[in-house]
Amino acid sequence: MDERLNHAPCGYVSITNRGIIMAVNETFLNMFGYDRKDVLDHHIESMMSMANKFLFHTYFYPFIQLYGYVNEMYLTLKSKQGDSIPVLVNGRSRRGDEEEIIDCVFIQMSKRIDYEKEIRNAKTKIEEAYRLKDEALGRLEVLHRDIELKQAELIRLNAELETLAVTDALTGLKNRRYFIEKLDAYMERFAASHMLFSVLILDVDHFKKINDTQGHLVGDQVLRKLAQIMEANLEEPALAARYGGEEFIVLLPGMDARQSKQAAEDLRTAIEQDSWEECAVTVSIGAATVTSEDTNISILARADQALYQSKNNGRNCVTHAADGLHHK
Amino acid sequence: MTTIFTRNNVTVTGSGEKTILFAHGFGCDQNMWRFVAPQFEKDYKVVLFDYVGSGNSDRTAYNEERYGTIQGYVEDLLEVLDALQIKQAIFVGHSVSAMIGMLASIQRPDCFECLIMVGPSPRYLNDGPEYFGGFEREDVEELLGMMEMNFVGWASYLAPLAMNNADRPALTEELKTSFCSADPAVARKFAEVTFFSDHREDLPKAQTPSLILQCSEDSIVPLEVGQYLHRHLKNSTFHLMEAKGHYPHLSHPQETTNLIKDFLSQLQGKSVQ
Repeated sequence: MDERLNHAPCGYVSITNRGIIMAVNETFLNMFGYDRKDVLDHHIESMMSMANKFLFHTYFYPFIQLYGYVNEMYLTLKSKQGDSIPVLVNGRSRRGDEEEIIDCVFIQMSKRIDYEKEIRNAKTKIEEAYRLKDEALGRLEVLHRDIELKQAELIRLNAELETLAVTDALTGLKNRRYFIEKLDAYMERFAASHMLFSVLILDVDHFKKINDTQGHLVGDQVLRKLAQIMEANLEEPALAARYGGEEFIVLLPGMDARQSKQAAEDLRTAIEQDSWEECAVTVSIGAATVTSEDTNISILARADQALYQSKNNGRNCVTHAADGLHHK
Repeated sequence: MTTIFTRNNVTVTGSGEKTILFAHGFGCDQNMWRFVAPQFEKDYKVVLFDYVGSGNSDRTAYNEERYGTIQGYVEDLLEVLDALQIKQAIFVGHSVSAMIGMLASIQRPDCFECLIMVGPSPRYLNDGPEYFGGFEREDVEELLGMMEMNFVGWASYLAPLAMNNADRPALTEELKTSFCSADPAVARKFAEVTFFSDHREDLPKAQTPSLILQCSEDSIVPLEVGQYLHRHLKNSTFHLMEAKGHYPHLSHPQETTNLIKDFLSQLQGKSVQ
């Protein structure tokens, strides 16, 4: 071997097509601590771990067979002492005397591989960090979805509660509490802008008798049906509510005494003329229209008095609080 | 079905009634057959292809779920056969492809006349004292690490991001002639599929006649593995080659070709009788 090649600053090995080492230079032997006899005529694989053998077979051999060269392949070779020494390998095949020969040069890359391993560790850490981030993000997204679902559920429940809180369970009409709130609002509006309104109080005639003779279930049925009739006969913004027991109450925004009395009369007629199966049902009605002296208590008291008057007048009739004034 | 042809870079040459199909193993592509395949063109229709993720296959067709198990590769093979409307193919598979062909023959026996297995192994890892596959788990870990560092662009490749970023501009045309130009994620997954799979349980299910070509001094697949396969595969013929190494079709194309042809003519003889 040429002296300069023998001591060239890189390991040099030539192998047969089958991987048998035919020539080797001093630099290579020094690099790995072998004697010439340790490697000559041996298979190059004898210096490789299983993983390196596989890599060599999977990439180096086929590639050099197909393309005639391999550049910059990273391998590790075992030194005589058993250490793994990282190297970069370039190979080129050439036509020898009898068969194909592959010339290989080896550059030791201990320092370089340390740098690369650092890069690899950093990369692994980044990958791990990314993975953890994605996982955390995934968990947050699940939490976020849960919270959104719970929030929607709360909003729904709240709305349901709100409805329940202002609804009369038996008839489905608004309850007394809601009615009083509305009444207060209309009182304020009247004080501010003189927008008229009237109230009606309805009481079922002889309801106690219906309950006693037909039973409470029929009594309840009557109340429910009355609620339906009232709903059907009143138009927005009129508001019907259950006042308690067999008493109903109606708010008639914008209506004066005459209009409210007409509305009450229409309601009374509608109830009287409806088809009642078990027994005839009629109502007595008292009406009152707001005046500047009224409070929310006094207007109801006046309507209640008018109702009392209707009862006294033989029931199934309408009295407006102002009617009595004319009589007097 | 042009999509399958481009997806798997299918090439068809030769003429003959029968079809012979060559399937490459891990880490390479259909080029591996270039010294062997042409020798069959006179008598057979010769089909070559690349599995998705290898060679000049359509890499956009790769998805980790499908090719995360060997079944994805089995489907590639069956879809290539179906696209060409091939029944009773002569299948030649190297390394992991031998198992891919065998699994495909179990699922669709009508597609295969015989299986020629070059350096096959049902399991690469050692398993207790009874089974010597040649590799310890640490060997495979070392291999995956070394492969990774041989890949172009390994340092900039981040696994968690690559899943959402299928096209990698770093892999340009010129890099395809580099020996590790494959996408590191694809190659790593294929290596895991290859090395961590175990098909010993599937062997008794295979009925198709098979030829096992075992290299002498195969540094990847020990002799014991070839013998194990022969014992557990019905209708199998075992042949220990003079060729050494793990790529007899590259290092000893003539011996490989002759053995395949001999086997085929024997099979022919049997069916004539």
